[in-house]
Amino acid sequence: MSKETKKPFRQSMTEWRQFIYNPNSGEFLGRTAKSWGLILLFYLVFYGFLAALFTFTMWVMLQTLSNDIPKYRDRISSPGLMISPKPDTALEFYFNKSDAQSYAEYVATLRKFLESYDDSKQSQNINCTPGRIFDQNDVAVKKACRFNLSELGQCSGKEDKTFGYSKGTPCVLVKVNRIIGLKPEGEPRIHCTPKEAGMVEINYFPPEGLIDLMYFPYYGKSLHAHYLQPLVAVQLAINSNSTKEEIAIECKILGSPNLKNEDDRDKFLGRIAFKVQMIE
Amino acid sequence: MAVGCHTGNCIHGSRSRQFEHSPDPEIKMSTFCSLSFSLSFGIQDDHRLSTSELERKYGTSISEGLSSAKAAEILVRDGPNLLTPPKATPEIVKFLKQMIGGFSILLWIGVVFSWISFGIQLAQGAESPFDNLYLGVVLALVVILTGIFAYYQEAKSTNIMASFSKMIPQQALVIRDGEKKELPADQLVVGDVVEIKGGDKIPADIRLIFAQGCKVDNSSLTGESEPQSRSCDFTHENPLETRNIAFYSTTCVEGTATGIVINTGDRTIIGRIASLTSGVGNEKTPIAIEIEHFVYLVAGVAVSIGVLFFIISVSMRYKILDSIIFLIGIIVANVPEGLLATVTVSLSLTAKRMAKKNCLVKNLEAVETLGSTSIICSDKTGTLTQNRMTVAHLWFDNQIYSADTSEDQTSKYAQPFDQSSPSWTALSKIVTLCNRAEFRPGQENLPIMKRVVVGDASETALLKFAEVILGDVMNIRAQKKKVAEIPFNSTNKFQLSIHETDDPNDKRFLLVMKGAPERILERCSTIMINGKEEPLDSEKAEAFQTAYMELGGMGERVLGFCHLYLPENEFPDTYLFDTDSMNFPTSNLCFVGLLSMIDPPRSTVPDAVSKCRSAGIKVIMVTGDHPITAKAIAKSVGIISATSETVEDIAKRLNIPVEQVNREATAAVVNGMELKDMSSQQLDEILCNHSEIVFARTSPQQKLIIVEGCQRQVRGVQGQFPVLSKLCLYSFHSGAVVAVTGDGVNDSPALKKADIGIAMGIAGSDAAKNAADMVLLDDNFASIVTGVEEGRLIFDNLKKTIAYTLTKNIAELCPFLIYIITSIPLPIGTITILFIDLGTDIIPSVALAYEKAESDIMNRRPRNKRKDRLVNEQLAVYSYLQIGALALGAFVTYFTVYAEQGFLPSTLLGVRVNWENNAINDFEDSYGQEWTKYQRTYLQWTGYTAFFVSITIQQVADLIIRKTRRNSIFQQGLFRNKVVWVGIFSQIGIALILTYGLGHVTALNFTPLRFQYWFVAVPFAILIWVYDEVRKLFIRRYPGSK
Repeated sequence: MSKETKKPFRQSMTEWRQFIYNPNSGEFLGRTAKSWGLILLFYLVFYGFLAALFTFTMWVMLQTLSNDIPKYRDRISSPGLMISPKPDTALEFYFNKSDAQSYAEYVATLRKFLESYDDSKQSQNINCTPGRIFDQNDVAVKKACRFNLSELGQCSGKEDKTFGYSKGTPCVLVKVNRIIGLKPEGEPRIHCTPKEAGMVEINYFPPEGLIDLMYFPYYGKSLHAHYLQPLVAVQLAINSNSTKEEIAIECKILGSPNLKNEDDRDKFLGRIAFKVQMIE
Repeated sequence: MAVGCHTGNCIHGSRSRQFEHSPDPEIKMSTFCSLSFSLSFGIQDDHRLSTSELERKYGTSISEGLSSAKAAEILVRDGPNLLTPPKATPEIVKFLKQMIGGFSILLWIGVVFSWISFGIQLAQGAESPFDNLYLGVVLALVVILTGIFAYYQEAKSTNIMASFSKMIPQQALVIRDGEKKELPADQLVVGDVVEIKGGDKIPADIRLIFAQGCKVDNSSLTGESEPQSRSCDFTHENPLETRNIAFYSTTCVEGTATGIVINTGDRTIIGRIASLTSGVGNEKTPIAIEIEHFVYLVAGVAVSIGVLFFIISVSMRYKILDSIIFLIGIIVANVPEGLLATVTVSLSLTAKRMAKKNCLVKNLEAVETLGSTSIICSDKTGTLTQNRMTVAHLWFDNQIYSADTSEDQTSKYAQPFDQSSPSWTALSKIVTLCNRAEFRPGQENLPIMKRVVVGDASETALLKFAEVILGDVMNIRAQKKKVAEIPFNSTNKFQLSIHETDDPNDKRFLLVMKGAPERILERCSTIMINGKEEPLDSEKAEAFQTAYMELGGMGERVLGFCHLYLPENEFPDTYLFDTDSMNFPTSNLCFVGLLSMIDPPRSTVPDAVSKCRSAGIKVIMVTGDHPITAKAIAKSVGIISATSETVEDIAKRLNIPVEQVNREATAAVVNGMELKDMSSQQLDEILCNHSEIVFARTSPQQKLIIVEGCQRQVRGVQGQFPVLSKLCLYSFHSGAVVAVTGDGVNDSPALKKADIGIAMGIAGSDAAKNAADMVLLDDNFASIVTGVEEGRLIFDNLKKTIAYTLTKNIAELCPFLIYIITSIPLPIGTITILFIDLGTDIIPSVALAYEKAESDIMNRRPRNKRKDRLVNEQLAVYSYLQIGALALGAFVTYFTVYAEQGFLPSTLLGVRVNWENNAINDFEDSYGQEWTKYQRTYLQWTGYTAFFVSITIQQVADLIIRKTRRNSIFQQGLFRNKVVWVGIFSQIGIALILTYGLGHVTALNFTPLRFQYWFVAVPFAILIWVYDEVRKLFIRRYPGSK
């Protein structure tokens, strides 16, 4: 009420001190030590119970899952495309053909990426029949198909240790995201187009950017341990008059009716766009 | 100028008992006393001037009036004759207040942060800066829309009042340019000559220059309902007491008068009182204080968690920009955006319900104030009583009979007394004939008690009494033609009329007389016993005295009746009666009986008072009436209970002087005159030490003092524990919540001062209605009590609503905290949170307002403003730390969705940076599959939807447990409150629509969800219910433990 007078500062301080610790009743913050103990004990038990409950339900939920394949794959019905090397700055390559330092990182990344495709690592892999889906549903141990690095031709890093960067013909590897059980139809291939014609010539390894169906389907990390996804190398021969210019390139997966490449919202579904700028 | 109302007058008046036909004029002055103190100094001495002096002063002429030109000139100078309405807060200010009040300020901070981060992101050229822009826009919209909503609700309840105060433009009959003209009253100017007749409202303060039988009803000014006569004589030094001034807004009851306008508009007495009212500050309502407290609490939690996690996220090397975005999320999660709107809706629902029960609430918050009321200061007349004189007792044949005083008596069979005695027949004749009151024509179809009567209060009572028992009084009167009449006057104190009889064989005239009993008895020599005239000996006179005292002691107004059949030989039927020379006998008459009248209590009031008593509400009667009448009514309605005694009663019982009585009385009847000389400390002592108090003969001005005294009281201690009485004097700081009823203009300061002012809808003046927070449409005290019940219920239910709303705050907050700490993909988005707060949760929280009371709320003490908070520590802790923690279920759903899509919980920990990186489009899940950014985002939205659905499911359980706070749900009944089920279905329905209907609108971040995910949280919801039932069981078993 309006009649209420403000308590003097001193009094309210004393009240606060009383509240924090009241020597008469032994109350600390309004409760005795015993009361606080009980409260803490209660919450300990309560939260302990909740934690146990959470753990238990999560355990039950995990028990329902298979180790091999996820329960649902409807959120990834069609694969995205990705390139390697992947520059830190959003998919833009900048390098100086005559400065090895400027593209060292790209080269290192490619080299590292291709390590798992090294012949020595593929000793267990078998040679599959090209052009056909390699169905292994009935087989307990899924075999991985061999992907010969030689198929990447000049981009294999065998002849040219700089993957063409030193010559002004940089290589970019395009890969299709792994999706368990995905079986592409038709003849899928990667096709890249520069935004402006005439700035760059594009070579594909394997020829025409074909992706062989024998690498599909994928059976998941645990069943298909040595699986190697097929790669398509795109070699960009940049015209000498187009150096210093930024060249926008878009790669798409074509030739397969069940692989989407025109999604409005997902810019990486079956396609990928990147930029290259080279100086001499 | 001398102040005319000196104390001597007042005390003199107060001590005289008054059973006379008309109250002594001096007594009325007492009620006027304090008013004149405060206001008389401003009044000019127009009442002393002669007519010609007045004409000179105002440049007017009594016969010609003002000239139109001059009137127009003065009108320009003085302005129209209107009361300036109280300064209303400009609408735009009210609107802006809604915009920044409560949580809005926090949300505005969120808006600003969103736009700042939008600006930064835009400058940095990030991919999707518009998300933050949209979020800012949405938040701003939320604030603006809830602001508009609250403003609209407020405006709606104010509008009810606006329509109330709208009056038909008043007309006044003015003489201008020598002609009589009808003018709107607001055109009147000082110096105008106006004519008034019975039924008119006085259009301005008027000095009368001619009056004929003019009586005015000053009740709107003084609270005194007895009409006062007005003449052109200067009778008193004090302009407020003198009879030649009539005041603006009072009513002329009968007669005609002509006068000169001496004050217009705000300069009138009424205008000055109105300005006095605006000086009394408006207090914050208790519920406003509670909501403020709640807002502080929640805002405090929001800000401290927000700042804490801002610091944590900065020290965890998050970017400042990200940290700001987290901060927005935390604020949005913590602020119950929809709650204030819900509270407003709940209050207005209750207001509507109360309006149906005749309590019209002006200010929404007053709904709850009424519920926390601990003292009600009630008027007597009209509120506790029926506001109409009714015959309560009869005395004839040496015996007292009671009459029925209820509101709806219809036939003579309702009257319980013996009507067979010939004495009654004689008495009924006098009652019928010696009466000038008449029914207004054309009301034959109305019940007798509701018919309008022309005549004063006592005559009206007698007329209706006769009409009920005898039927068609007007016809009876017509048959017994009146040949002569002497109306009542204060010198004679009797009324007399002479009639022919309706028996053609009986040529005698019948003389009937009524008046003050002792005066009537003086004129009698015989008394009728069982129809026979017997000599009036001392024994019979003694019996008369005893009966008279007994009836008077009951606070009733007693009238004596006598008659005489004039001998035929002395008074042949051609005899001419002359009332001036009184050529007929007026003594040696035959005394027939006594009738006593009282303004009886409304039949619903005693019950209401006892309800108040059990509800711990102290009812104090404040009246301008005589203490004896006041006490009698107080006893009959239970304000003074049958067993309690006042100091005077004890003194009388023990036969000792009043001074010797120790303070052991629980009841007190305080006279206004005693009150005047009391210090505020003495008043406190009285209020403290008595549980049953009646203030009699108080002026409306003293009401303010009483209200202030009550507001100083500590609740709950008064009178109940006499030992503590000393204590309560020293702990003023915890005030009682005081409700005050009032109708007169003079009550407005008290109405305004009170925590809740209750104006009378029927008898109330506009000024009172303006000052009040609530209007009682039927003027009935019992309606206040139903209002109290509703107010208490809504407080309880708001508690439930808030608990319900707070609980999900944790479920909304935890995702952010866990997201920041463990870097999992964000479980629920800010927009989604808004959909819970303003979508699914709104109807259920309103539904709790329809919950029935758990126990008899009218058996509880009023809530203690200090201790019984709307939101207290326990409620917050229980909601936040216990039920809120069960939001766990939502996390289980979230993890399930991710795991079944390929991201096992172990994979999710710490993925935030890569997960949200737009450049990573081959993000590997637990099974070796690779995801693009958009595929991940879409999965994230599925996660939002799953989390949202789980919260919705758990809120259903939360809603059910919040139906009660102590009782088991099964005691309360699961299906009694149908609206809760509407709430549950709406909640689920909205969630279904959002998920499946709008699941494809990207901006909303909802995706269609697999059906089974709806059930993941169900076990947790059941757990909430079971846990809460167990808790309530413990509360019932071990009440009072901490």
